[in-house]
Amino acid sequence: MPIHNEGLQQELGHVTEPAELARIMAMFEHGDPIMHDIAYNLIIGNHHEVDRLTKEALDNGYSANTLLDDGLISAMAIVGVKFRDNVIFVPEVLIAARAMKAGMVHVEPILSASGIEPIGTVVMGTVKGDLHDIGKNLCIMMLRGTGFKVYDLGVDTKPQAFIDAVLEHGATLVGMSALLTTTMPNMGKTVAAIEEAGLRDQVRIMVGGAPLNPEFADDMGADGYGKDAMACVDLAKKLMGADQLAVPEPIPAKK
Amino acid sequence: MALVETMTPRERVMNALAGKPVDRTPCANPTNVATVELMDLVDAPFPEACRNPELAASLAATGHTELGFDSVMPYFTIIQESSALGCEMQWEEKDNWPTVRMAKPIWKGPDDIRIPDGFLNNPDNVTITKSIEILRKQFPDVAVIGKTMGPWTLAYHVFGVENFLLMTIDDPGLTMECLHKLKEISVLFGEAQIAAGADALTFPDHATGDLVSGEYYHRFLKDIHIEMAERLQVPLILHICGKTLDRMSFIAETGMAAFHFDSKNDPQEAMDAVDGKINLVGNINNPETLYARGPEEVRAEVLRCLEAGVQMIAPECAIPLATKLENLIEIPRSVREWHEARA
Repeated sequence: MPIHNEGLQQELGHVTEPAELARIMAMFEHGDPIMHDIAYNLIIGNHHEVDRLTKEALDNGYSANTLLDDGLISAMAIVGVKFRDNVIFVPEVLIAARAMKAGMVHVEPILSASGIEPIGTVVMGTVKGDLHDIGKNLCIMMLRGTGFKVYDLGVDTKPQAFIDAVLEHGATLVGMSALLTTTMPNMGKTVAAIEEAGLRDQVRIMVGGAPLNPEFADDMGADGYGKDAMACVDLAKKLMGADQLAVPEPIPAKK
Repeated sequence: MALVETMTPRERVMNALAGKPVDRTPCANPTNVATVELMDLVDAPFPEACRNPELAASLAATGHTELGFDSVMPYFTIIQESSALGCEMQWEEKDNWPTVRMAKPIWKGPDDIRIPDGFLNNPDNVTITKSIEILRKQFPDVAVIGKTMGPWTLAYHVFGVENFLLMTIDDPGLTMECLHKLKEISVLFGEAQIAAGADALTFPDHATGDLVSGEYYHRFLKDIHIEMAERLQVPLILHICGKTLDRMSFIAETGMAAFHFDSKNDPQEAMDAVDGKINLVGNINNPETLYARGPEEVRAEVLRCLEAGVQMIAPECAIPLATKLENLIEIPRSVREWHEARA
């Protein structure tokens, strides 16, 4: 199906890498016009319209899965590309995230009630001594939107709190964020604590934050580094062995 | 050949900030160079050193006496005036910087912005002004640099980062109103530090490329920064972390004396971007080089800055508190040796 929404068509122009464009186009090809409208309004951060259109789509019989895949996640994929390529910055991502939340308010309860198994369970927090959380919050939103169950441990998270959360929720992924150079070493301390608790073989650990890079992540004993929220999702899928899920199989239009 | 230094550290820094000739490139610390090791040396640990003027002065002095930098900076964080405004604080311990609990903002919009009575007499602000007075007397020949937060950084603290960034899109007019009100706090605290004896002021205003675009800097901040450079009667050193190449040409037109830039920007590209219109200070990498590597790697970065023509050599930002002293000492050492090789 061609892209119905002119604004969305223009937004796709920001995706310049052919393989990436093909992957994202595949997300839209089986979408109905209302999904394209939802996607466009999410990308430009119009949360009122996303709220209205999501309710309308559900009332018209579209499934929560269809809305999630074709309306919300597909749009966030474009937002992620634009953010990565410096077309947009954090304020624009925040309004898109707010619009995504406006849609998820309607979709999430239905998905939860349906008993669909998550891709994986993640516990995520900003490390001890650090109160910055924008990057972590964006990662959590993207992970949830992609099908992960995420437990947000908040900011200033002590190593023991990560361990307790892993045990309590049976998490297989741990995500840690830090913005300060003084708190970055706490990632290594948390990895060591997880090791000491005998959980290192049961979990994969990913880290992120503005001053970090892959070498530092490696030094800290993490399994991977995510530069931004999109990279975090890709990394989480890879660590779960679910990265192939990034390319959805073409399926007939769903209603 | 041995380098003959003909200027005092203070003259060197002030000349560099004025774009005048110097006997050698100065080493400065526009953010801070406090470390745990230095805290132990003078028995001035965090957080006490952030709240007691004598301890702040003692710790700041080590930047010159122990490390050999040409300036001293007694404001180690970015939170003193926010604490005085009433923000909830996490003062932390010796091995971490104090932080504002930005998830618990104190204000929602411009109508809430009030400078409390006795703002300058708040102990957290007095710590800075009084420590500047102490350092001024103790080190007449060393540049004493103060620090006053810009309105963008203050907005993160009082409104919360996420709320404020959403406001910039939802209501740009309201955002400007907030910034114009908050800038008066920057001026008030800056003037108090000038009166206390500060030679120059660092002006952190974190419109970083990791969060917002260069266009944002131009739209929301450039004119305010021009106004700040006119109103605060000492050289201002603008500090913005992260990627800033896309806004350096705007920054260069603000009339600020210098821009303290991050290692995410190549020194030569930065020099090209500002095109001689503003002095650059920077940009030795903190987490990878100063914290995790050794003097050899520090030297390589210092030389890269010097070869590019960066006017003052400094760590890119406030250094990790566990940074090894040998890495910091290597900064002025490398600068001297580079000049000696060319003398």
